[in-house]
Amino acid sequence: MREHTEIVRPPRALWVTFELGRPLGIPDDAAFQRRVVKAALDLLARTDSPLIADYPEHVPDVTDFSGWACPINLAPSQVDSLVAEIDRLATWYDRSVANLDRTTVGVSGLDMPAAGALVSRALDGDLPEAQALKEAIDDLRAYYLEAASAFPDPGTAATRKKWFWDETKLAQALLALQPKLAASADPQHRILANLTLIPATERHRLG
Amino acid sequence: MVKRLSDMPEVEANHLRRIECPTYDDTPALPGKPLAERRVAIISTAGLHKRGDRPFRPGDGSYRVIPAETQGNELVMSHISVNFDRTGFQQDVNTAFPIDRLRELAADNTVGSMAAVHYSFMGAFPPAAAEPHAQHLAGLLKADKVDAVLLVPV
Repeated sequence: MREHTEIVRPPRALWVTFELGRPLGIPDDAAFQRRVVKAALDLLARTDSPLIADYPEHVPDVTDFSGWACPINLAPSQVDSLVAEIDRLATWYDRSVANLDRTTVGVSGLDMPAAGALVSRALDGDLPEAQALKEAIDDLRAYYLEAASAFPDPGTAATRKKWFWDETKLAQALLALQPKLAASADPQHRILANLTLIPATERHRLG
Repeated sequence: MVKRLSDMPEVEANHLRRIECPTYDDTPALPGKPLAERRVAIISTAGLHKRGDRPFRPGDGSYRVIPAETQGNELVMSHISVNFDRTGFQQDVNTAFPIDRLRELAADNTVGSMAAVHYSFMGAFPPAAAEPHAQHLAGLLKADKVDAVLLVPV
């Protein structure tokens, strides 16, 4: 954050306007990323500190959702449970792993049906330890979004996140889980409920 | 590499506005060697680590070690925050952790060399929780003869 950087005053900072979470700007654009890294490293030659240099390139926002629909129907009428939804996505997830030769799933150590079962049990009132639940949910989120990136018409990252929150049983489960965690006597459950379960941009979906 | 609060959705900006920032009396930028003679390490605050390493926990100010030879498919992210994009990292590790770019810059002699080891913290920690770890890390960087660090927040 520019405002935080202005308070901390590091000797040298490069200000970029890219989406939070993408400090190098554009995935799979090595030339663009290299220019950003080089611009940051070139600041080492300057001694007029503290300085914040403005990076001159910007990445346009891709927020046009028109004309994109999830090509496989995951509406609640089509799958009757979270477990079924997770199973339905497995083939797309496998395709993503094959395409990218990598996955970012694997924080919790659980396989995805087990992670889904943990969420289902939590929804039924059997709340697991907050850290275990958070790790399982992080893995599931990565699994869903990586799977969606391998759909025949994958849209954009923004449309896939909208799909996740609009259409999936997992998102419904997370929204339903939030008040249960918020009412828990365990402060770690309440941190999860209030800060690290539902993104700030999606909290309007909570009842 | 930083962003501006006014560019963000108000709910996110309000959350980030409340974050505690340390202040320093003096933050000098000292002159040093040319870039082509420097040994560079990456320090991320994206909550990255190798699959199987300890995931980050709320308030965790410690770091995880990412050796230079680590492949992209070995890295996962366990940052507690859900308020930043992860799909860029899912698609291409370099979107958040430019290890391949640094490797290229070292190969074409734009930078002198790459550190043997790189590091990740998880950004959402109270500054005091990280200080002892940061002090220790400074010693490790010196031992690796690192004389430039690319700090990459998310």
